[in-house]
Amino acid sequence: MRQDLEQAASTIDPVLLSRAVKGDHQAFSRLYDLSGTLLYSLALKILGNREDAAGLLQEIYLEILKKTARYDVGRGTPIVWLITLTRNRAIDRLRTGGVRAKGRAAPLLNGSTTERATDQPSGSFDARADQELRQLILAAAAGLPPAQREAIEMAYYAGLSYVEIASRLNLPPETVKTRIKLAMTKLREALGEGEERHTRS
Amino acid sequence: MTHGELEDAIPLYAIGALERGERQVLDAHLLSGCSSCHSALREFQAVAAALPFGLDIVAPPRLLRATIMAARASNVGPDTTGRTSELSRLGPGKWIDHVSQPDSHSTAAWSSILPRWILGPAIAAAVAGGYMAWSTYDSQVADDPIALAQRKEQADSAASQLAELQRQLEEREQSLTRAREELHRSLADMADLKDQLIQREAELDVLKARLDQYEKRRPRTPEDELAVLLRTPTTKAAVLAGTEAARDASGIFLYDRRTRKAWLYTLNLPACPAGTEYRLWILNEKPVNVGAFHVGKGETAHLFVQSAPDFPDTKALSVSLEPVGGGPQPSGALYLRSDL
Repeated sequence: MRQDLEQAASTIDPVLLSRAVKGDHQAFSRLYDLSGTLLYSLALKILGNREDAAGLLQEIYLEILKKTARYDVGRGTPIVWLITLTRNRAIDRLRTGGVRAKGRAAPLLNGSTTERATDQPSGSFDARADQELRQLILAAAAGLPPAQREAIEMAYYAGLSYVEIASRLNLPPETVKTRIKLAMTKLREALGEGEERHTRS
Repeated sequence: MTHGELEDAIPLYAIGALERGERQVLDAHLLSGCSSCHSALREFQAVAAALPFGLDIVAPPRLLRATIMAARASNVGPDTTGRTSELSRLGPGKWIDHVSQPDSHSTAAWSSILPRWILGPAIAAAVAGGYMAWSTYDSQVADDPIALAQRKEQADSAASQLAELQRQLEEREQSLTRAREELHRSLADMADLKDQLIQREAELDVLKARLDQYEKRRPRTPEDELAVLLRTPTTKAAVLAGTEAARDASGIFLYDRRTRKAWLYTLNLPACPAGTEYRLWILNEKPVNVGAFHVGKGETAHLFVQSAPDFPDTKALSVSLEPVGGGPQPSGALYLRSDL
């Protein structure tokens, strides 16, 4: 069990991140192996092409090394920090227009297929903890009304504010605001219940 | 924005859906240290960070890993092998100055500058040259015993110099070997120390995080609350003076209208007779009881109030001695009073 936890992206140990940032080569390699696939998938989702996603990831890992981006243990787990950092940087690139033409746009939050390239490092996203979280978020997202899911996706992956989303959907801003708030609250409850079930089991 | 509106904005903040101005307002509120909003933000940020787990998972190109690791090596190289890198930048032969101090002796000095591979051939050339010269002139001096003796003396001297050069060469090689071994040991020690340092720093980070969590969970003592009040810029203070009933008594009253927290500290109040207690009153149109406290003989006393009534138009504060569980109006003698 312990070994499983250590190999999951969702349970990256703050000590591992700390060691990686401080120049421990093995820890840095391990950090990349645990988080690279998830972060690349996120960058690809937002930027829409592999070249930009790879470039962004390279930039992010070097930022971590050069301590330009600093992890603060008081602000969440390492994976929350890494995902937030990747998402924000990708959205920045999207907004500044430094992105090539988008490739195939994968459906959001459907999890219908798991594309695996032949050169995927082994164990990068196969850990039980990651798969459990994946099933949990897929089930929770599937339980949302489509309008709420759409608002969440437009905000998170397209970097749009609720006012911008409202403008695109021709809706009052307050409606979009409410949809996002309700969706986030439902997702929080679903994740909390899933965590409780996991703790009990 | 009210606090309720700020709380409502947290899910949108976590997912990046707020307008810039609203985000800045919430940022400022979070900076003020609101613990409930911080806690809610952590939860919603975890929700936002869980979203990518539901994406189609695509492995990054293998080349990306190699590129990042290579960039990492060039990035941290000077830190981990600073001395070695410095040596590698030196010109041929110069690096030896960095592992052994130059000798003042002339031969040792040049032998320390010339590369090792030059030194051996130089000696061989010196020997060969000496032999050739000796051979060339051998026939001319064969019949001259004096010249022959001189040549023999020169040959002996050359052989002696050669032996000395060889001895110095061996010494230098031994010294170089020792220096190299010492350098390797030092580098290994430094690597060990660095590993230990990284481990300790990582442990320290974890301990700091635990300490932070402990501090957040630990119930606040009245002293903690007083410290918070004193640090709060909006806290106001009033001094209470003793009345005729207790001329030496005094008190200080701190109140933060934003958090409604109040603190009273008193000195030299007479001990409460049995069945009585002191009560703090806010004197508006009618007196409002803020709280009660007991004073024993020779004691100072403090009263901390978590949620004091708001009193924007209060004219005065007073402390009176009342029966325990007394009524809504002061009935006993006044001991402390302050006009606001």
